[in-house]
Amino acid sequence: MIAFEHVTKRYGERLALDDVSWRMDEGECVVVLGASAAGKTTLLRLITHETQPTSGRVIVGTFRGGRLPRGHRALLRRTLGIVYEDFRLLPDRSVFENVALAVRIAGRFADSEVIPRTLRALEEVGLHQHQRALPAELSFGERQRCAIARAIVNRPALLIADEPTGALEPRSASEVLDLLRRIHREGAALLVGTTRPEVADALGGRRLTLVEGRLSEAAAHPAPSGAAGG
Amino acid sequence: MAIFFLREAWRSINAHRGLAFTAVFSMTAALTLCATFLLVSFNVQRALLAIGDRREMVVYLKDEASDADVKLLQDKITQYYGSSTFVSRAQAWSEFSQQVGDPELLQAVETNPLPASLRVKLRPELQNFAAMDTCAHEIERFPQVEAVRFGAEWVRRLDELNDDARRTALAAGAVVALAIVLVLYNTLRLTVVARRQQVEIMNRLGAGDRFIAIPFVIEALLEVLIAATISLGLAGAMSYAASQRLPSVSFLPPAWSLAFVGGAVVLGWLASTLALTRILRTVGP
Repeated sequence: MIAFEHVTKRYGERLALDDVSWRMDEGECVVVLGASAAGKTTLLRLITHETQPTSGRVIVGTFRGGRLPRGHRALLRRTLGIVYEDFRLLPDRSVFENVALAVRIAGRFADSEVIPRTLRALEEVGLHQHQRALPAELSFGERQRCAIARAIVNRPALLIADEPTGALEPRSASEVLDLLRRIHREGAALLVGTTRPEVADALGGRRLTLVEGRLSEAAAHPAPSGAAGG
Repeated sequence: MAIFFLREAWRSINAHRGLAFTAVFSMTAALTLCATFLLVSFNVQRALLAIGDRREMVVYLKDEASDADVKLLQDKITQYYGSSTFVSRAQAWSEFSQQVGDPELLQAVETNPLPASLRVKLRPELQNFAAMDTCAHEIERFPQVEAVRFGAEWVRRLDELNDDARRTALAAGAVVALAIVLVLYNTLRLTVVARRQQVEIMNRLGAGDRFIAIPFVIEALLEVLIAATISLGLAGAMSYAASQRLPSVSFLPPAWSLAFVGGAVVLGWLASTLALTRILRTVGP
């Protein structure tokens, strides 16, 4: 599903990832653990093609390395569900509209399917009562659940979450982690980047530890020979 | 999906009313200029066409040409150039007499010196200087013909005036096209920058450029449509005001009005599509 082959990423003089190789299979749960600026977000951004490796190759499904054309990048992102620490919700849209937007962007569903799909996703995250609310009217935990609803509404095979509990107080964080665990149990692969070991403990799964841009030896997974996508 | 895009466009206009108003105002100014030139050009063309209807060529006949010769020449002229009317020597003298009006002066001329002639009304496609000049030379070669006159200088000036009017309208059209492209480009750039957060989020969710661009294009088209309609209204008012002094002035016919609005909308579509292709590449991850 995902393979990194000797990936190095530099931002000018700063080395964000240093010769990183690992892979993740379908349905797997992987938690990338590391301190702030260890390279977790860079690793996730490489998967979504928001940035390009300085050297090495990133394979995501059938999308293999190199700089993808804009159309292919959009297509790749439509196959993923992504949750950000700061939620990235549209402030002038209701909860319902934020989630429905992802359904429309996917372009795979008829107009008549948009409402039921969106409502189902909101129900799954327990937000159907707040569907008309604007993000500003929600608590941080509810906003993150809205972002998760948006990420799962198209049933992606892989859900990527970058510090999903970073902005949340313990109770909301626990609810969000329960939700992510449930989504994983239902079949989606889960890739979470976090600074908090307790998040890794709660989610279980395989743990990769990033230290100053390098995967720690104990957690590193050998690069697949002739690496195939998932 | 169409309703979704329309709603998005309306939401954008509503959220950035100031920008939308500025865009409509600027484009209205540019399009009004264009509509004015179009109106002037249309009326000049109408006037020239009316004058053109009076363009005629006089073919002076040799005295020895018989009735049969004249009939033969008339047939040829009808076949190749247009309709002709025979003016006998007596008719010519009579018309001349009426024009001069002074009997003493006329008595001084002992015999009628005027030749018989054919007054030729050329077909519309031959009513320009180059074609008339060619026709004159061709007709002059007929053996029955003494000379051909058609007021060459006057016809040439008329044609030049017509060409100038058309060129001015085209130049105005080009300036307005450029103005619309610039106005739309900058308005869309500002709108996209104002909605940068939305565009970035949609990009991250996997929206393609087309999906993101459609509402902005609809917004631009609505603005152009409003501006073109207002411009046409203003041109109508100007035409009405002018017709109070010059009754021959008339407003653009429906086909011209539709072509004006349609042309503006097509231009708006091209400009906004091109602009967004460039702008969206600079926004988003």
